[in-house]
Amino acid sequence: MRSILTLLSLAAILIFASVVLAQNDPDTVPYIRLSSFNAPLLEGWENQSGDDFAQFHYAQAHATIRSALLEIAEPVAAAAADLRRSFGIEVGAPIYQGKVNLADGTWTVLIYEPDGLASASVMARRAGSQTAVISFVESDPEARILMLTIAQSRDGRDDAGTEIDLAVSLLASNKAADLAEAAALSLPSGEWTGVVGDSFLAMGMVFGNDSYLAIGEGAAENLAKLADAYNRTVLGFFVTPDNSGYLALALTAVFAILALLILSFSWRSRNIQKDLQLIESLNQAGS
Amino acid sequence: MNAKTELLSPRQTVGERPMPVLLRLLTILALVGFCFTLFLGLFVAGRDIQQGEIQRIFYIHMPSFFGAFTAFGLTVVGGILYLWRKSEQWDRIALAGVEVGLAFALINLVTGAIWARPIWNTWWTWDPRLTSAAIMALTYAAYLMLRAGIEDEARKRSFMAVYGIFAFTSVLVTLFIIRVVPETIHPVIVGASPQNAQGSFEATSGVVTALIPSLLLWLTVMPITLIWHRARIERRLEAINRLKMRILSE
Repeated sequence: MRSILTLLSLAAILIFASVVLAQNDPDTVPYIRLSSFNAPLLEGWENQSGDDFAQFHYAQAHATIRSALLEIAEPVAAAAADLRRSFGIEVGAPIYQGKVNLADGTWTVLIYEPDGLASASVMARRAGSQTAVISFVESDPEARILMLTIAQSRDGRDDAGTEIDLAVSLLASNKAADLAEAAALSLPSGEWTGVVGDSFLAMGMVFGNDSYLAIGEGAAENLAKLADAYNRTVLGFFVTPDNSGYLALALTAVFAILALLILSFSWRSRNIQKDLQLIESLNQAGS
Repeated sequence: MNAKTELLSPRQTVGERPMPVLLRLLTILALVGFCFTLFLGLFVAGRDIQQGEIQRIFYIHMPSFFGAFTAFGLTVVGGILYLWRKSEQWDRIALAGVEVGLAFALINLVTGAIWARPIWNTWWTWDPRLTSAAIMALTYAAYLMLRAGIEDEARKRSFMAVYGIFAFTSVLVTLFIIRVVPETIHPVIVGASPQNAQGSFEATSGVVTALIPSLLLWLTVMPITLIWHRARIERRLEAINRLKMRILSE
């Protein structure tokens, strides 16, 4: 009896200690967890998230990063719908459209400049019957900032220099700019290469088989902070799969196996009882 | 049959004893503990943001393997002590360990396969850990089949004691194979995962809160309780079989 009480006390202490530990120790990754997806929390950004979308605003740069799941199956249509509903931006044809294969699927990369004052860099991918949309929208009248993700070219494995050149040639206003100065930048999202041109700043980071790029023109002194935040959002975005049916199946299997084991005990005990009764009745009949 | 037992009723001969208080307490603790750890795993631990709800089966999948480890370990202890002391009670514990351990090993295999379907996109793959776990289960299933096939009681007990001791190598191989063979996609929870392990996750405090009580329960209370119940049934079964043989021979 004493040993049981000791065992129970030890178990209670362990459980209590675990619960206290759980309350005091924050999660290792600060995430905003919504019912269907998760996105990293952006420190220093104003959290404007709702029940079904994650949205962070950085007032100093007039920039917003938004993640949402839309009930629209087509990525380009979903991106346009999200920009219209959330930012009131009507977009026409994108100035850039491409595809990139990340670990969680194929994303459509879109860049819009609807009115010359605002720009929207969007990534969208199918998630079941829905579409995940991650948007970077900036409306700084003094700056033009674009985010781009493209697949690594063959000769640019170690750094994003080749992809920065490509992005500049595709998107910069002054395409003949001189890419004279390059520097390494260490940000929370990783090691970036920064390039200063005559009229722009450009940044690039290689992750996996892809390059994550940012181009800023005008007063783009926040480019590193914005690129880092957008990159962390893109790489940290997870659609939580709905596999509760498999959990129910697994629990059913656990209960079934345990029930079979216990029922076999019960069945054998009952057989022993029956045999005993039979022997007792035979004994009585014999005597 | 000696003079003393001839005076006993069949019920006394079979040894119809009330359940010991300790076993009653263990049974209650196992039931309450099972419900409580299920509650921790389903409602207290957070949802894994990458794997979704299916990750919660980990709070049964991993502890059930350790429950099998305890049960098969008791088979080794029972086998060694039977060979040394030749006392039937150790043989019963060895047999009960195999039955309970096999049930736990099946829980481990089935829950792992169901987890793998949404995470690895397959029910089964011939990964070193999965293969060794399947061989372990088959080794102990063979124990039960072999045991049923040997008629001579003393020979059966001795042979199965030796088998049960050597069969434990399959448990140790299953436990340590992912440390030795790096070509595995099975997640490693304790220690560093191999580069190619898939479906792993960090053991955050929420995981620990649900895992530790479940691990303790499946490692100790559940196998010991079930083995004790099964060994008691086996003792009565052997006694009644002997009684039947005596009646038939009279």
